[in-house]
Amino acid sequence: MDRTLKTRLESKLADRLAGPIRQRHDGTEIRIRPADMVEVMRVLHDDADLDFVILADLCGVDTGETMQVVYHLWSSKTPDWLRIVAEGMPREDPRIATLTGLWPGAEWMEREAYDMFGIIFEGNRDLRRIYMPPDYASFPLRKDFYLADDAARSPGGGVRHMEQTSPPTQATPGSIRRTVRP
Amino acid sequence: MTANAEPRQHPSEDDPRIMLHGQMGQYEQVPPYPPRTEREAEFYTLGDGEMFLNMGPQHPSTHGVLRVVLKISGEKVVDLDPVLGYLHRGVEKLCENSDYHHIISQIDPLEYVSSLFMEWAPVMSVEKLMDVQVPRRAEYIRVLTGELLRVASHALFQGWMALDLGGLTPILYSFIERDEIVEALAALTGQRMLFNYFRVGGVNGDLNHEFLSRVGDWMSRALVQHEANIGLLNENEIFVRRMRGIGRVDRDMALRMGVTGPNIRAAGVPFDVRRSHPYSVYPELEFNVPVRGANGGGDSLDRYLLRLDEVRESIRIIDQCLHEMPDGPVMARLPRLMRPRPGRAWAAVESPRGLFGTYVISDGTDQPFRFRIHDPSFVHLQLVGMLMKDNLIADTMAVMASLDPVMGGIDK
Repeated sequence: MDRTLKTRLESKLADRLAGPIRQRHDGTEIRIRPADMVEVMRVLHDDADLDFVILADLCGVDTGETMQVVYHLWSSKTPDWLRIVAEGMPREDPRIATLTGLWPGAEWMEREAYDMFGIIFEGNRDLRRIYMPPDYASFPLRKDFYLADDAARSPGGGVRHMEQTSPPTQATPGSIRRTVRP
Repeated sequence: MTANAEPRQHPSEDDPRIMLHGQMGQYEQVPPYPPRTEREAEFYTLGDGEMFLNMGPQHPSTHGVLRVVLKISGEKVVDLDPVLGYLHRGVEKLCENSDYHHIISQIDPLEYVSSLFMEWAPVMSVEKLMDVQVPRRAEYIRVLTGELLRVASHALFQGWMALDLGGLTPILYSFIERDEIVEALAALTGQRMLFNYFRVGGVNGDLNHEFLSRVGDWMSRALVQHEANIGLLNENEIFVRRMRGIGRVDRDMALRMGVTGPNIRAAGVPFDVRRSHPYSVYPELEFNVPVRGANGGGDSLDRYLLRLDEVRESIRIIDQCLHEMPDGPVMARLPRLMRPRPGRAWAAVESPRGLFGTYVISDGTDQPFRFRIHDPSFVHLQLVGMLMKDNLIADTMAVMASLDPVMGGIDK
C-alpha cells in the first residue's frame, strides 16, 4: 500500500475521480467515468511523477447491472499496481473510447472485451470478434449468458440455449443471476 | 478401329472443360462476408501483384492451432492477420462457475509448457482476497518448482526455435533436459505436465526424497548440460545468420505494445515482475535480470540469447532455494469451503513468457464473480503483424517462434 501514490493521484486527477481511492495489499484502485478515460490515462502515462508506462491488463466486467472496463497499470515510481475502473456503462449499449492511441497493444484486449461483453471501444479500428466465430450473436461472459447446466433454468431454456441472451431482470427466480456491488 | 468421337449433346457437370470455362477468372471472395472493420477492409483488399496465403491452422510450427492469413507479394510478406479461437474453451466462464479450489485445475492446462505459473497467479490473488499468510516453506517450494519449470520451458523454447527454422536435432537435446525436470516434478506432484500442485495457502505436499534426489542429480550437471546444449545452436552459423536482424523490437515499441517478459527485456527494458513488483520470496533471493538490445532494440537472436541467460539465473535461484529451504508447514490453515469477503484482487507473476496475471472479483460466495486471465502470449502475438512487414515468408516462423507464444494460453 503506497500512501504517497494516493496523495499524488488525488492532486493530479482531483475532479476526474468518480469515487474514493481504495488501497488494499499491493494495489491501489481508482474509479473514473468512461468519458474521462483517455484523459486520465494520458495523465497517468505522461506525468513524470506517475509514469505508468506498462499496461498490464485490460478487461471488461459485467456487474449484472452495469458494465465496467478495468485497466491495470505498472509504474517504476510506486510499488503498487494501479487499477483503474471505468464504471457505469449501461448494459444495453456499453461504449467507451479506445486506448489504442496510447497503447496500440490494447487493440486485441479490446477486441476480446468486445467479443466477450459487447463493449464498443470507439476508435478501435479492428473491433471484430477474436475468439468466437464471426456470425456469433451473443456475448458469452455476460452474466445473463448461462452455461449448459444452468440453461434449463434460464428464460430461454431448451431453445438455442448456448446462444441465449436475455436481460437479467427476466431471469426466473432461483436461477444463477448474480450481481456484485459496483 | 473407329474412335468413339461422338460429341456430347448437353454440357455435363462432369466435363472438366465446361467447369474450367465457367469458373475462369472467378475466385471465392475472401472472407466470404463483407468486411466489418476498417482494418479488415484494408487487409482483405489486394494490391497489384499481391495474393493471400493461409498458414495453418494445422501448420506444424504454429505452436498450437493458429491460422495466419498472409498477404504476400512474391516472397515478401505485405501484411498478416492472425485468426484465433481454434482452441477457445471459455476458461474464464468455466472459472466463474467453479469454486476456488476447482479453479486451479481449470486454469492449469492453459499454457501446458509452464503450468505451475498458471496456478501461481490465481492462487496468489485468492490469497489476497482471503488475507492468507502463506508459510515460508511453501513459498520456497513454489519458487523452487517454478524456476525448475522455467528452465524446462526455456529448454523447450530452444528446441522449438530450431525446429521452426528446420533443424530437428536440438529439440531432442531439449527434451533430455525437460524430461529430467518434468520427471522430478512428477515425483513431487504425481503429474508430468499439468501439475495441479499449488493450493490457496500453500502447496499440495511437502518435498519428498525422490524429488530431491532427482533435482540434486540434475543440478550437479545442469550448467554443464546447458552449455553443451546451447553450443549446438549458438555456434551454428546458419542459425545465427537467419536470426540476426529480423523482427527488431525497440524500447518504445515494446512499451506501447504491452510486451512483457523476456521479449521486453530483449528490447532493453529491465522489466521483470520478480524484481519490478516483487512477490513470494524473490526479494530474499539473489539473481540478475538479464537485459539485451539496450541500444536500438533487440532482434530474434537477442530474444533467443536472453532466454539462455535466464536459464543460468534460474539455476542460481534453484541452488539458493535448495540451500535455504526453511522448515515448517507447507499449507496455511484455511476452511474447506472458501468464501472470501466481497472484494477485488489482482496478482501477477513472471511466467517464462511474461507477465501472467489474474483479476478476481469475489461476491462473497464460493465461486468468483469475475475471473480474468491475462496471458502474455496473447499480447505478444500482436507484434508479429508489425514485425513481419517486408520480411520473407520463411522468416514468419523465425520471428513468431522467437516471441515464444503458446496457443493454449492465447485462446484461453
